[in-house]
Amino acid sequence: MVALAVVLSTVVLLLGILVAGLLRSHADILKSLHELGVGVGEPSGTEDLAHDHRHGTANGPDGVGLHQVPIALGPPLPGERNSTSAPAVAGVTPTGDALGVSMEGEHLTLLAFLSSGCATCAGFWDALQRHDQLGLPAHTRLVVVTKGPDLEIPAEVATQAPVGLPVVMSTEAWGDYEIPGSPFFVLVDGRSGRRIGEGVANQVHQVVELVRRAEADGRPFDLVTQSRAHAEGLDGPERELANDRELLAAGILPGDPSLYPRSLADLYGPDGAPLGRAG
Amino acid sequence: MALLRAHGIEAPLPGGFEGRIFVRSVIGNEVTYPVAHFATFALPADVGDFGSGAVNLMGPNDIFASLFEYGPESIGTALFSRQGMPRSLTADDFRPYVLRRGLGGQSGTQWFFTDSGRPFTLYVVLGSHTRRSALVPRVNDLVGSIGISAPTVPLTARSVPTGPTMAPGARWN
Repeated sequence: MVALAVVLSTVVLLLGILVAGLLRSHADILKSLHELGVGVGEPSGTEDLAHDHRHGTANGPDGVGLHQVPIALGPPLPGERNSTSAPAVAGVTPTGDALGVSMEGEHLTLLAFLSSGCATCAGFWDALQRHDQLGLPAHTRLVVVTKGPDLEIPAEVATQAPVGLPVVMSTEAWGDYEIPGSPFFVLVDGRSGRRIGEGVANQVHQVVELVRRAEADGRPFDLVTQSRAHAEGLDGPERELANDRELLAAGILPGDPSLYPRSLADLYGPDGAPLGRAG
Repeated sequence: MALLRAHGIEAPLPGGFEGRIFVRSVIGNEVTYPVAHFATFALPADVGDFGSGAVNLMGPNDIFASLFEYGPESIGTALFSRQGMPRSLTADDFRPYVLRRGLGGQSGTQWFFTDSGRPFTLYVVLGSHTRRSALVPRVNDLVGSIGISAPTVPLTARSVPTGPTMAPGARWN
């Protein structure tokens, strides 16, 4: 009888260890999902997941695979997704006012789609309190977008809302932009009225890098359109020759280090201002 | 089309417009009423009721509009005798000297009226007086679609503080 009790106790102990191991493993998986920023921990739980699924960008197992890269321009989101349109964002503020933000203008608009209860979003809410210290390029407008009062609690959003930043509560905007989960960032070029970058991020510096990369991609276009050769309608070898003449006149000879930038800082300086840009 | 709706004001935003409908925080014993701002440029976080802090950012093709509600004591006064918000402005309605802050080249118009039992003023600024013919149709796209609801509580029944520091009407800044 004693032997039987010992055996049963041993079996129970082993099963307990097994269950504890499984729970630990499950916790590790959840933690990893949080770090990937795939929206686990949304305040509205299954309702949110169901809502996202209706837009064809589920946060389920497939969704996890889609967001392995933390942030990038043109991340591998679903192919059928419209990733260029940039409609105005309209909704209410946490205090019950109405707010609508147009994407048009001479500036970039960075939309930060955040949730009040998402663990990964917490770091962004904190960082946005000091939004003037983020290092975003000039002429970048930062707008926080949460889901509407139907899926978020305005009082909770209000406690986290950064002072001086527009915070729009709009479930419709999440649908318009087909946001797969939070945190998610969309960068819109006001001149073209199109999205030029979007993706998931875990850290603020990744978002800042997204904006800097997008801005860097846009600047050469500006330089070309403002060049004398382009203005004079030159093309091909004639344009190349004209550009060479301008470079020589500016004292930039073949092999000059400025012709071979190694980083964005070489082009735009540490503060983002273009170096040696004429006009 | 994005739709703004708050405090009994509803405004579908025409393309290129943004806006906000809000009630300022109360300071002391003052009473604040809804204000709606609309602009074709990025509105700063803190804009005066009639556009201070915003109109100086306007380009020549920009538009700023403010719809400002007054207190119930204004109802029935001569200034607010016009019934209904003006829905179709003309280029002739805009004058460079009708500006609360005279900025070179800009042009403005201001209308006082009562709509749905609520006293308002509509103040519109154009970035360029010389381009008013092109800008006024855009203004009309905006003001033509703004809806104002009657107050759920009669204005005269609103709780109005009776302290001696309360100024009649809403504040101007």
